[in-house]
Amino acid sequence: MNEELIIGIDLGTTNSLVGVVDSGFPIILADSDGERLTPSVVTYRSEGSIATGREAVRLQQLEPERTVSSVKRFIGRPYDHLSTEEIESSDYTVQPTPSGGINIAFGEDHSVSPIEVSSEILNHLKQVAETALEHEVSRAVVTVPAYFSNSQREATKAAAEAVGLTVERILNEPTAAALAYGLDKLDDEQTVAVYDLGGGTFDLSILQMKEGLFEVISTAGDTRLGGDDLDLAIATAIQGRLGIENLSTAESSRLRAAAREAKEALSSADTHTIRLPFFRDTESYELELTQEEVEALMQPVIDRTRSICQRAFAEAKNKGAGSIDHLILVGGSTRIPLVRRSIEEWFEITPNLSQHPDEAVALGAAIQAGILCGRVREVLLVDVTPLSLGIETFGGLMNVIIPRNSTIPARAGELFTNAVANQESMAIRVLQGEREMARDNWLLGEIDVPFTPGPKGSARVGVQFAIDQNGILEVLSRNTATGEDHVLEIRNSAVDVDDASVERMVSESIDHAFDDMNERIWTEARMKSEELLPAVDSALELVGDKLPDDEVDRIREAAAKVKALLESDLKDAAALKQANHTLDEATQTLAALLVEAAFE
Amino acid sequence: MGMTNCFAILGLSESLTLDPGDIESSWQAATREEHPDSSPGTEENRAAELNQARATLSLPVERLGHWLQLKLGEFEPNRSIDPELMDLFASIHSALESADSVISRHQKSTTALTKALLAKEAVNAQLAIQEQMAGIHSLKQSIIDSFPDLEKAGESGDFEEAKRNLGQLKFLTKWEQQCQSRLLSLLEC
Repeated sequence: MNEELIIGIDLGTTNSLVGVVDSGFPIILADSDGERLTPSVVTYRSEGSIATGREAVRLQQLEPERTVSSVKRFIGRPYDHLSTEEIESSDYTVQPTPSGGINIAFGEDHSVSPIEVSSEILNHLKQVAETALEHEVSRAVVTVPAYFSNSQREATKAAAEAVGLTVERILNEPTAAALAYGLDKLDDEQTVAVYDLGGGTFDLSILQMKEGLFEVISTAGDTRLGGDDLDLAIATAIQGRLGIENLSTAESSRLRAAAREAKEALSSADTHTIRLPFFRDTESYELELTQEEVEALMQPVIDRTRSICQRAFAEAKNKGAGSIDHLILVGGSTRIPLVRRSIEEWFEITPNLSQHPDEAVALGAAIQAGILCGRVREVLLVDVTPLSLGIETFGGLMNVIIPRNSTIPARAGELFTNAVANQESMAIRVLQGEREMARDNWLLGEIDVPFTPGPKGSARVGVQFAIDQNGILEVLSRNTATGEDHVLEIRNSAVDVDDASVERMVSESIDHAFDDMNERIWTEARMKSEELLPAVDSALELVGDKLPDDEVDRIREAAAKVKALLESDLKDAAALKQANHTLDEATQTLAALLVEAAFE
Repeated sequence: MGMTNCFAILGLSESLTLDPGDIESSWQAATREEHPDSSPGTEENRAAELNQARATLSLPVERLGHWLQLKLGEFEPNRSIDPELMDLFASIHSALESADSVISRHQKSTTALTKALLAKEAVNAQLAIQEQMAGIHSLKQSIIDSFPDLEKAGESGDFEEAKRNLGQLKFLTKWEQQCQSRLLSLLEC
């Protein structure tokens, strides 16, 4: 093994860090200002230069449309996986590429891919490391959310390679945090769960630690659930309470910054005043929020982590794991008291707060880097694949070949034969996900299995699906007649770095993008109204008598407003959306009563 | 391609009645020794082989299938279904259907209120699935308990009972997985 240094990088949604093992201990490297956290923000300035990190954050208010934050939410995903909310809630413009990937556009003639933005951040971290270590760095361990798919992992790897970093391992974030937790407990035998709620993603992983062997038993997560969603929920409520409509990009960016500030302040204080001086022209706003109010807004988002945890717990139990000795919290959003209280309430376990929420993952990445370059001994990490891998079979079903939570590296073979005489090849769609129908899962790409010409059923090709230690898939075919192996290319669109020759097609599609978007928002709002209105009637009939009269009136009033907007010819999408939101909020207690009644 | 022997890969005796703890400790010892991260130069292939062997031997249905394959080579599977299983299937099927119906309506709803309206039904579906799983579990366990007998019969060259049990176990395992996946989805309701 090469003794040459390997750095560990935590490429986060909100912040990124770089670390290294020095004299047997992992450390985080600081930049020339002495800062360890680099905001994962890049500004493509109108004058042409590119700013990264804190400088980009400073520019965010000046050039919100040219400043890219939380790009991790988009990396390696196809455009059609995005929800309207995800597209809308970004200050910058997100567009489809001709091959179905995602681009970030600054006006008509300039766009970048999420991979390129991530490369800027990685390059910045590489420079931080080189300055701190006073020599060149070319190898890295880069962390990703455990629940990242094959495409998201490949895209992250490509981003690092584009700036001259050889990726020695793509490491799962919660696993990295477990390494940081366990490095000084190598003699212990314990089962731990890592609850990792960051800026944009959530993971829960369960590991067994025994004499230096860290083995992941199960993992579950959501790559679209994090602090950003909390900010958005709070910002939407503030907007509603202040009665401000039709936000500009700069306004919505300011509002979200204020929401985040309130969220952070209310993690320790009981009340917080939001001040928005000269928010719109000369209009200034002020609003006092209590911790209780903000917690009520955050609760539905945090509740989404519960069933994900239960999933991972259930699978660990199926695999024979014992009870959880420690539940370790990492990720910036776990600073929120409500998160800690909810976990205690749900699972009757006191969360372990021994790890630094922002730094544990980077320290773990540094440790894994240390293992791979021989600087850390007696420690071995074995992980699992988060999603089932399969192929599409007859009738559009998914046939699982490597089930989720299989220990990696994993491989499994399938035998294919020609269905008709002299068939040259067979196209196979490779999928990742847990749904029965192929179309509901991630399409990783297509492979062509080549056949030797011959009568029907004569050609026999063994195809081996291998998931390496990075969680990345490789497909090999073996001709059983010749015994020859070769790698099959997986054709995939979302990871492609875009071809400049197709730029023109993109700008043509932009012209229609706005109309499409408005139509899409109206359709979604209309469907939501049509779902809510009858539900309000049924719910009031079932448990309405348990509500005070004024609350019932408030609900009926909100419902009447939705109905009026729905039937109006104006088709005001934004207003209908807001009215739905008000009705949604007004019926919170009603919904809680129904759930309570269900368990009686 | 020669047939891999998962027992041999982990250095275990070719037995149906392996102790899960022994499978784990053999895998752990071999992984520490031969994992490419701790022993530079070893092939990733070897680690994958160890993982595959453990996965096969840890699941009773896979272990029985692999054992039969080692004893008999390619064999004709026994596809008959016991009447007991037939009865069970009918009730499982209806429990799965009602679970699917709640889950799909829940997935379609976008508001807390419409989801809450389904809560009662979801709780009932969950109870029904749990009941079915208890039935599956006890049948599965009785087959696993018969592994020593299957092994003994095998020593005198009789594999019919093992083949029949493999078929039953495959059905039960599949239903168990289906029930488990519904149960996980119902957690979200």
